[in-house]
Amino acid sequence: MRRKHRLWLEKLLPSPLEGKDNRVGMGHGYKYFSKGLSIILMILVFVPLGLISILAHYQYEQLLQDEEMYQLVLNLEEAQNTIEEFVSELQSIVKFVARDDRYQELLDPKELKALFIHLKNEYPGFADIEIIDSKGTQKAYFGPYTLQDHNYSDQAWYKEVLLHGVHISNVFSGFRNVPHFVIAASRKHPQKEGHWVLRVTIDVKTLQKFIDTSNTSYADDMFLVDSECIVQTQPRKYGKIGEKCVLQIKEDMAMDHLKQTGQEEEQTSIYTESPGIVIVKKTFEGEEITHAVADLLGTPWKLVFVKEQYLYADKWLQFKLKLVTMILSCVIIAVFVILEISTAITNHLRESDKKRQQLYSEAEQSNKLASIGRLAAGVAHEINNPLSIINQKTGLIQDFMEMTDDFEHKEMMKEAHESIQKNVNRCKTITHRLLGFARVTDFETEEIDVNVILREVIDFLAKEAMYNQIRIDFNLDENVSKIISDRSSLQQIFLNITNNAIDAIGSNGTITLSSRQVNKSTIQVDITDDGPGMSYEVRKRIFEPFFTTKETGKGTGLGLSITYGLVKKLGGNIRVISEIGKGTTFEITLLIQQHEKTS
Amino acid sequence: MIKSKVLIIDDEVEFASTLCQRLKLRGIAAIDMFSGTEGLKNLVKINPGIVILDLKMPDMSGLDVLEKIKEHDPSIEVIMLTGHGSSGSGAEAKRKGAFAYAMKPLDITELIDTIQSADNKRNKA
Repeated sequence: MRRKHRLWLEKLLPSPLEGKDNRVGMGHGYKYFSKGLSIILMILVFVPLGLISILAHYQYEQLLQDEEMYQLVLNLEEAQNTIEEFVSELQSIVKFVARDDRYQELLDPKELKALFIHLKNEYPGFADIEIIDSKGTQKAYFGPYTLQDHNYSDQAWYKEVLLHGVHISNVFSGFRNVPHFVIAASRKHPQKEGHWVLRVTIDVKTLQKFIDTSNTSYADDMFLVDSECIVQTQPRKYGKIGEKCVLQIKEDMAMDHLKQTGQEEEQTSIYTESPGIVIVKKTFEGEEITHAVADLLGTPWKLVFVKEQYLYADKWLQFKLKLVTMILSCVIIAVFVILEISTAITNHLRESDKKRQQLYSEAEQSNKLASIGRLAAGVAHEINNPLSIINQKTGLIQDFMEMTDDFEHKEMMKEAHESIQKNVNRCKTITHRLLGFARVTDFETEEIDVNVILREVIDFLAKEAMYNQIRIDFNLDENVSKIISDRSSLQQIFLNITNNAIDAIGSNGTITLSSRQVNKSTIQVDITDDGPGMSYEVRKRIFEPFFTTKETGKGTGLGLSITYGLVKKLGGNIRVISEIGKGTTFEITLLIQQHEKTS
Repeated sequence: MIKSKVLIIDDEVEFASTLCQRLKLRGIAAIDMFSGTEGLKNLVKINPGIVILDLKMPDMSGLDVLEKIKEHDPSIEVIMLTGHGSSGSGAEAKRKGAFAYAMKPLDITELIDTIQSADNKRNKA
């Protein structure tokens, strides 16, 4: 499981050192690593940020919606109560004037007129008044029409008023084409069986005026409809009296009914916060509106309440703006920080990898040189013995030739013999140098000022440098610590390197020798030339025995390997820094106090 | 003129015998032996003044042979032969009482000079 877990991580974050032998590919590894790291960090930051933002968005929206609904219901209920109260007041008045015992009195047209005038003073909307006897026949009337002896006994409203004691009608266009409604109250007949009825026609304006005054600034429109959704009072915008309501409230109510009976429709915008109240959100003529419908108790009407705009539209917009600004700034900051962090981590990694690789290649080189050294010494030793015998035998031949008189071809043999001797000596030099490279030489340690040795070496090479127009600069720290070391080894080291520098420059150039204190226990000598420099391939092999870039016969390829061996034997370190066209620097670090070596 | 008898001890038979021959040609009384043990065994019989001793031999190391010779007769001068370049063993041999050390392949003239010095030292003593 853990392994699996690691696999995907490795896939996402490939080791930048993969394909380290491929020097071109190396940079890509880090790029992928950096990219992978950035992606992981971004996921870690953006996923929670996104989730929180979405949550905040919906939570706040929900909160605002709830708040709005609450406000809407509150306003609606207030209006509902006021209108109900008003209607019930009208009802009470009608009931009050139609006291049981006033039947006879009101049949008198004078009395009826007096009552009507009295009522009209209070409520100017009262249009007419009539008295109906227990059989449903109009008995007295005061108003714009004349008494017509109508019989209402078959009409629904008459039956209802007998049943319930009071009735309020829907709005209808009566005389003069003015919308009216009727309030009728029934009373027990004082003498006969049955009930007599007082019926009052009221101009809708009364209701309209009341609704207009009770319409708060909260609602954009408020009006009444009947159970068939016919508009009862004049809306500001949504329809006309006597026409069907443009908001299709009946359908909404029907849908509410469906919802309540469990047959859920897709319309999610229906809210029933309080019993008898339906709130619907819909798009009307391209605008989003919210309307609420509430039953008015004791009346055949419903109150319609329209809110055109989202109450908290500004608040919501502000919140969204703030949210987006916050998210955007978080994203920008996070992206910036993440990129910086992953670049920094990658750079850090690259640096430490580079250092590690450098150490690794240095260790590899010194291992390689040590094994080459051992091999070379082994070969040299094996060759040295037969070489000694050849040397003795040729010596013996020489001895005999010197003791013998002239013989035929003696001169030629002598020449051949000399050539053998010369080449034996050549081999001898090589084997001795090889053995010297590999074996621990005897040191005679003494207190040495490296500056003095550097100057001595340059004295020795000054002439050669002068012939080649090579300037030699010193940049010596005169306060550099004296070291305990072997004089001849140091001489050989500096001589070899300076000699190589002269050879590398050829003619016209500068060699700089500098010395400095590195720390309490180490000093460093740098020998820099402004020659042609070396390629990576040459630099890699520079300390290998027999590796030479000089012409055949000019160099043995042992100078620098011996130098390397000597520096190592002195407990120091040698490093070459070179690039083609930029010259070469040999850095030699030397210990001030040599560690005691057990032989 | 070298008066001392010279004993050469080296496991390389051809080397030892040729060197012996060449020294004889130069009028030096030289005898060759091909191992440390053999050399030590015949030390009394031969009674050399100077011993040319190889440092590296299979049966017994040159340094051990040197110690035995010096135990037997400190006046015998020993010239160590080494094939190890300017190795630490040469210096150690010197500390253990060797007169000098020479590197193989030998330069006969240099060797005779060294033998001469050793002989002179013995004669002085």
